[in-house]
Amino acid sequence: MTTAPPPVREPAWSLPRSAIGLWVVESVIDVLFVGLGVGALLIFAPDDGGPFPVLRWVVPLVAVLYAAVAIGVRPWFKHRVYRWEVTGDAVYTRTGWATQTWTLVPISRIQTVDVTRGLLQQVFGLATVAVLTASSQGTVRIWHLEHGMAQRVADDLATRAERVRDAAT
Amino acid sequence: MTVPQRTSPRIVLVHTITFKQARALAPALVPLAAATGIGGGRWTLVTAVVGVTLVSLGTAVLSWWRFSYVDAPGAVVVTRGLVTRSERTVPKDRIRGVEVEAPPLHRVFGLVRLRVDAAAGAVAGKDEELLIDGLPRAEGERLRGAVLTSRVRAPAPDDAAPAEPAEPAEPAEPAEPAEEEFARFDSRWLLYAPLVGGYLAVPLAGVGALFRLAQELPRDVVPDLVGVRTDDARVIAAALLVALLLLVAGAVVGAAVVNWRFRLVRRGGSLIAVRGLLTRLHTELEVDRIRGVALAEGAGMRLVRAARVTALVTGLGDAQRRGQLLPLGPRAEAWSLTRRLVPDPGPLVPHPPAARRRRLVRAVSAGAGVTVVGAVVTAAFGWWPVLVVGVVLTALGVPLGLGRYAALGHATGPRSFAVRSGWLVREQAVLERRAVVGWQVRQSVFQRRAGVATVTACVGAGRGGYAAVDMAAGDVAGFAEAASEPWAATFRAAS
Repeated sequence: MTTAPPPVREPAWSLPRSAIGLWVVESVIDVLFVGLGVGALLIFAPDDGGPFPVLRWVVPLVAVLYAAVAIGVRPWFKHRVYRWEVTGDAVYTRTGWATQTWTLVPISRIQTVDVTRGLLQQVFGLATVAVLTASSQGTVRIWHLEHGMAQRVADDLATRAERVRDAAT
Repeated sequence: MTVPQRTSPRIVLVHTITFKQARALAPALVPLAAATGIGGGRWTLVTAVVGVTLVSLGTAVLSWWRFSYVDAPGAVVVTRGLVTRSERTVPKDRIRGVEVEAPPLHRVFGLVRLRVDAAAGAVAGKDEELLIDGLPRAEGERLRGAVLTSRVRAPAPDDAAPAEPAEPAEPAEPAEPAEEEFARFDSRWLLYAPLVGGYLAVPLAGVGALFRLAQELPRDVVPDLVGVRTDDARVIAAALLVALLLLVAGAVVGAAVVNWRFRLVRRGGSLIAVRGLLTRLHTELEVDRIRGVALAEGAGMRLVRAARVTALVTGLGDAQRRGQLLPLGPRAEAWSLTRRLVPDPGPLVPHPPAARRRRLVRAVSAGAGVTVVGAVVTAAFGWWPVLVVGVVLTALGVPLGLGRYAALGHATGPRSFAVRSGWLVREQAVLERRAVVGWQVRQSVFQRRAGVATVTACVGAGRGGYAAVDMAAGDVAGFAEAASEPWAATFRAAS
């Protein structure tokens, strides 16, 4: 899929390798739920009548394919897509995998900076930095930074935002 | 004035008549009345009416007595509550707008209701506003002026000198500068109303209420309609015609009630909109907080070259209603109003052919899906209506897709930019460069193959973001840089 060049440049810095572990664990949990659903189908669906004979082998096949992609491919692919950067006057990230999103927010328009640590993130020593602006759509999240790093980035952004804050939201 | 003040005692009468506070007690009283068993009879009824009125009077008096406001130098403080006292302080520099409302009953007693809008930060909820109900009209005007002018704020830098002193319609306020009229509602514009979805909903809601009423009425009151011959084509045609006429008339009347004698004037640093037949609504917006303008044209409105203009104001709660600058009017009028508020960024640049292909594929795909299902059903069971519906939907998708593509466009000027999209309601947002608080660029796998991307300007006003859909990927960085301040160069250069 090396068609067109990306619309904008990629942010400079990548996430720590431990984010891959986190994404693998998330996918495993996800796949477990899918497995439960498939199991329920195999047990409770009637053997004959309507589309069920076909579904009985199509659904598990799709589920196995999904599991292979979600656990074996997606975490590494995401690690290549997820990037971030804090420049002199802006915060810049890229997220997503099939659909990619680049978000750019100037430090002068930052209103609040949050650091959140989910349960799984704590296991891997990671944290998310969320930067909020006056716009409901203008929120930029830097996912899965090492916890100490996240804290330093948040503090740095908060103090710099305080200094250059723009009254015009 | 820093002494706590009460509202006018006349508000007690208004609230007694409307059962404002007593209404809250109704859910408790009805089962009580049912339990004690009202046996009918005139005296029971009279007692009940007198009792309810007395309760209403009592609660109205109590809430008037427990309510006070202070117009302090730096803030407005409102204290209220029967048992639990609540005190809300709103610093004046956080006040974004003041609205003076005069519902019919208030007008009889010479009262107004003052709504102070003080949204803060990203979330603007109902809790952020302050309501002072029952001020004498002169005091309402005074307070509105005091709240808005006591803020230290330089007058808006605008070259347009205040024009001729307009008619002395509003009483008082001798200190205010002369006003300049921006727009005035022409009653002929009401004829656009039947083509606007929102106004058509008014008569439809009325019909719904009527049906519910008809169902609850006793059977013998409802006229017997069974005798009417429904197989006569003329009867059906006549009924449809009458219904259509009623719908049109209802839309016009609804639009008239809401927009009667609409006027938009600029007085100093504020834009003031006055409108309404029964309830006169007086909305004040600060010119300084206006970041842009959204010009909306529904599919029906485009047929008659009509448009609606809304101001995009930072931190304005209920912005869709309060930001209205021109509720309904000719497109030319809408554009001249837009240009007075935001510099014109010039003509729109159309999006690449790949965008047209994508719009077409999307518009046609639903119909194509139905067609495939229909073909299978026809082949298997010989039942063809689904196939016909699918083919018709697919055919209709072509003009829809082309229309959606024609709506797409963006433009950048020296101080402002514009984006446009939508078919059912085509909306063009014209925004100042300083309005942008962030950019979001999205690209799906398909968009990557087509070499396009969707760019959203995040704005702390209006809907929060305005998107240029399917812009050529190569233009994204340049557009962002031209449409916002220098920080957007991050998209292009390495730091």
